Amino acid sequence: MRHAFVILVTALAVIGSLVPAAPAADRIRVVTTIPDLKALTDEVGGDLVEVESLARGTQNAHELEIRPSLMLKLRRADLLIENGLELDSWAEVAVQGANNPKIVRGAPGRVDASRGIQVLDVPATRVDRSMGDVHPHGNPHYSLDPGLAPIITENIVDGLARFAPERRQVFEKNRQAFLARLDEAMARWSRALEPLKGAKVVVYHPQWIYVLNRFGLIQAATLEDRPGIPASPAHLTRVIRQMKEERIRVIIVEPWNDVKLATRVAEEAGAKAVVLASMVGGVKGADSYIGAIDHNVNALAQALR
Amino acid sequence: MRALTLVLVLVCVALAPAAPAAQDAAAEAAALKREIEQLQKQLQSVTDRLQRLEAQPPAAAQQPAPQPGISALDIARPRQPFGLYQQRGAGQLLFDIGIAGDFVGNLTQKNVEKAQGGSFPGLENRFFPREIELSLFGQIDPYASAVVRIEAGEEERTGDIAVHLAEAYLTLLTLPFGTQARIGQMRNRFGWSNEIHEHDLPWVDRPNVMRNFFGSEGLQEQGMEATFVPDLPFYVEALGGIFNGDNEAAFGAGTLRVPLVTGRVRTFLELGDEHALELGMSVASGQTSEHLPSTILGWEGRYKYRPDGWLHPLITVTGEALYSIRQFNVEGDPNGDGITDTEKRRKNSWGFYVGGEVQPWRRWAGGFRYDWSQFLQTPGLEQAIEPYISFWPSEFLRFRLAYKHTARTTQTRDAFNLNGGSARTVDELFFQASFILGAHPAHPF
Repeated sequence: MRHAFVILVTALAVIGSLVPAAPAADRIRVVTTIPDLKALTDEVGGDLVEVESLARGTQNAHELEIRPSLMLKLRRADLLIENGLELDSWAEVAVQGANNPKIVRGAPGRVDASRGIQVLDVPATRVDRSMGDVHPHGNPHYSLDPGLAPIITENIVDGLARFAPERRQVFEKNRQAFLARLDEAMARWSRALEPLKGAKVVVYHPQWIYVLNRFGLIQAATLEDRPGIPASPAHLTRVIRQMKEERIRVIIVEPWNDVKLATRVAEEAGAKAVVLASMVGGVKGADSYIGAIDHNVNALAQALR
Repeated sequence: MRALTLVLVLVCVALAPAAPAAQDAAAEAAALKREIEQLQKQLQSVTDRLQRLEAQPPAAAQQPAPQPGISALDIARPRQPFGLYQQRGAGQLLFDIGIAGDFVGNLTQKNVEKAQGGSFPGLENRFFPREIELSLFGQIDPYASAVVRIEAGEEERTGDIAVHLAEAYLTLLTLPFGTQARIGQMRNRFGWSNEIHEHDLPWVDRPNVMRNFFGSEGLQEQGMEATFVPDLPFYVEALGGIFNGDNEAAFGAGTLRVPLVTGRVRTFLELGDEHALELGMSVASGQTSEHLPSTILGWEGRYKYRPDGWLHPLITVTGEALYSIRQFNVEGDPNGDGITDTEKRRKNSWGFYVGGEVQPWRRWAGGFRYDWSQFLQTPGLEQAIEPYISFWPSEFLRFRLAYKHTARTTQTRDAFNLNGGSARTVDELFFQASFILGAHPAHPF
């Protein structure tokens, strides 16, 4: 017992001695839950921030494995920017294991990027799990809708400015420059999808509603029976029949979802399965915010033509 | 002429009051005009102010007030937690509620049932609710969170359901220097599996070594734990705890005069995005109910391989080893003088398990666990192998089928030959059904 205790105390002392002195505070250390928010924070923060994302673009942001490496990232964070609307509620477990009071719920270092977003698909009736893994506060997949970037980046600026108020103007200037570039890109995207307005698509998981609405496309059905519930053969048969009847030519599928199944269904229905970047970094070439939307718009326009 | 004069007079009379009325109307119109101008000015002023306010970033007013630096005084200062409730809308809860249900059925030999030597002693050849758990968890205030778990389950074959408080603790989240403290009744963070609740375990039953060293419920104590996560380039968590030492199997002194002291150090290695390994070492040291020393050391390892983009790991390997150093009293007559003497003996015991799981599809997984364990005081050892298959119709519902073969050495005869039955060789078939209702926090690695 005594030996074990001595070993433990020694181990703690060694670890304690390894703790570095107060880190240089010239750059704000930001952690975001998803890469879309990282990309936007990079745009707004520029050289003044150091940003890491907990999730990678190829992962399903609904269910992330809570590795201690996530806790390590959060341990040093000045700011945690989360998507909210219960998409990334797993982050709470990582925060609790990070022992960092700056980012616990209610602290000024916690930023909810969904503040001020006009949320879609908000359930109007009582919600329970018979409806699948439904989000009771509405659809949380708003981050790749370019029309919502002004609100998201405003929330990010507010969060950064809470930590470094003297740099607000720099953040705001960066934001305006980014939004100007986004406006130019938006004109390009609108031109590409304008002739396809009103076209119907099938999605694997209902996470494209913001983007589809933005460009006037229609979500006709989902491959999932209900959110998060794998499709039954009967459901797939119904979807294939609907696609044939309504001449739907595209199934949008996320990189983390069952692309093979989507391809099979698309072939049955005489359509194409298109893998879009569900988050920044989700597919090759989608490494920036504008790059990811560029990829999605081009892929969609090409498939729908 | 007279008539003309009369008409003229009448007209003058009729018009006489009209002249001042016209003057009044003009004055009133002027006043109204001024009032309108004033209102226009006010409106313009309000509009200007509104535009100025809209131009300003709104967050400062809407975001929580900056948290003051944490000092001893802050911790000591009384707060008003119920104030939070007043800020919430009607009908909103301040915490999350979840229910987890776990039902187990097991079939085994008649002699094992007689000897009560199965994995669920006393519940052999029964289908029973093992754990129906009501969980309440959430923030107490900006500085602390709390968890309360109440469990109900069948513990004896009478069919009666026992309800007890499984866990109730608060966690101080904003302590300085990268520390957190947990205070209350809790499943101790000793090794990997001890903290995991029954329905979340990757197997139907707890590993033999955990059951043999800490009892069927595992190590579950009242006291406090503190964790320290230093700001290092790699992840290390150090934990220290002080508890009553109520666990009857391993300790049992049950007093803070000779507390159960626990400690754990764990680290994590990420070998690229796809491979991850967690390693840890734990210690629990206290006294038994006979006030003799007892120390248990533990080592843990957990590896996961998750191909990029997969929603679940393809391969998971978990293992824990425990080593017990324990003194206990033995009554006997070694001298042969007819007088019963009490002799102190020391026994060191080992035990370990290793489990592997393969999950090629999201809804299906198969695996096995191998157990090897001595006993804290009883001589002999037992080995077991348990293959299983799990199926998840959805994230919130799981079915599991398992077979377990246990072999015990002859020295265990006294402990596992009860009521005329023998449980030296045990074959068991398990069926498990588990569900989750409502909120359930994500699982750590």
